[in-house]
Amino acid sequence: MQAAAQAHGHSHSREIAWPPDHLFGRASAGKIAMWIFIVSDGLSFAGLLLAYGILRGESEAWHHPGEPELGIAFTALLTFLLICSSVSMVFAYEAAVEQRRGRAALFLGLTALGGLLFLLGQYSEYFGILHPGLTKEGLVFGQSAYASTFYVITSFHGFHVLSGTVYILVTLVRWLRGAATAGQIELLGLFWHFVDLVWILVFTLVYLIPPGP
Amino acid sequence: MTESPAQAAAQGHTSRARQYLIIFFVLFVLTVLEVAVAYIRGHRVEIVVVLCALAAVKAACVALFFMHLKWETRVLRATVVIPLSLPVLYALVLITEAAWRRLTL
Repeated sequence: MQAAAQAHGHSHSREIAWPPDHLFGRASAGKIAMWIFIVSDGLSFAGLLLAYGILRGESEAWHHPGEPELGIAFTALLTFLLICSSVSMVFAYEAAVEQRRGRAALFLGLTALGGLLFLLGQYSEYFGILHPGLTKEGLVFGQSAYASTFYVITSFHGFHVLSGTVYILVTLVRWLRGAATAGQIELLGLFWHFVDLVWILVFTLVYLIPPGP
Repeated sequence: MTESPAQAAAQGHTSRARQYLIIFFVLFVLTVLEVAVAYIRGHRVEIVVVLCALAAVKAACVALFFMHLKWETRVLRATVVIPLSLPVLYALVLITEAAWRRLTL
């Protein structure tokens, strides 16, 4: 091995130095990787939301007869739930940094619970639990741009909530085993807050903007 | 006794719990405000502008405080903000173009 290194002109006595850069080491490789993922994922959502905006802006009538309006009050509750889960996530990170292991686990568990309740709420909105869901009320995928963009955007976000919840539960188990670090919980938090941030935009653009004249 | 990296991190850590609670309160109030604005009838353009502004403030709060962008380096902030601003710019161009087309046709 040494011979091979020497053959390539390297020697073990000379350390490889990083070029002088005051920013080197200010963010971990994991954090930079997570931000790259978040930016690219954010651009995916941006593509969906732009397509939605173009279709809605150019349509003669967005809501077709027989199609239900989206429930603002119920979705506002789901929004509040995601905001609460973001707060519990930052408290989990705080506790993890302070090495308060039980408190960190508790807040991670609460965040996962928030994610599960959001998914339950979305299921209820689509298919109905206590009341008929949108699919039974006449909002059918493929029937109109209104229906299709709604299901594509919200289910893509729902998939993120699902994967985020699994990510939280896996990290929670690793934390309880002593295999996860506070830095890893910060990365998890970045993803979870991103999911919350995207929902803030989806809630406004898809649910709150009133129909045109 | 040598301290572990975790202990060192904990010692250098400043709790932001109060700040997080303030941001939570701000997000809650803005969400209530959004829902109230959404129920107003008429003045559609003004309502859309206000709703988008409220959503932008909420998203900025989450990114800056919960995602810690406020405390990151300028280069990391720029790496995140510049690419994600481009779709917003594109949307503004499309909205302007559509408005112009409706006014002139």
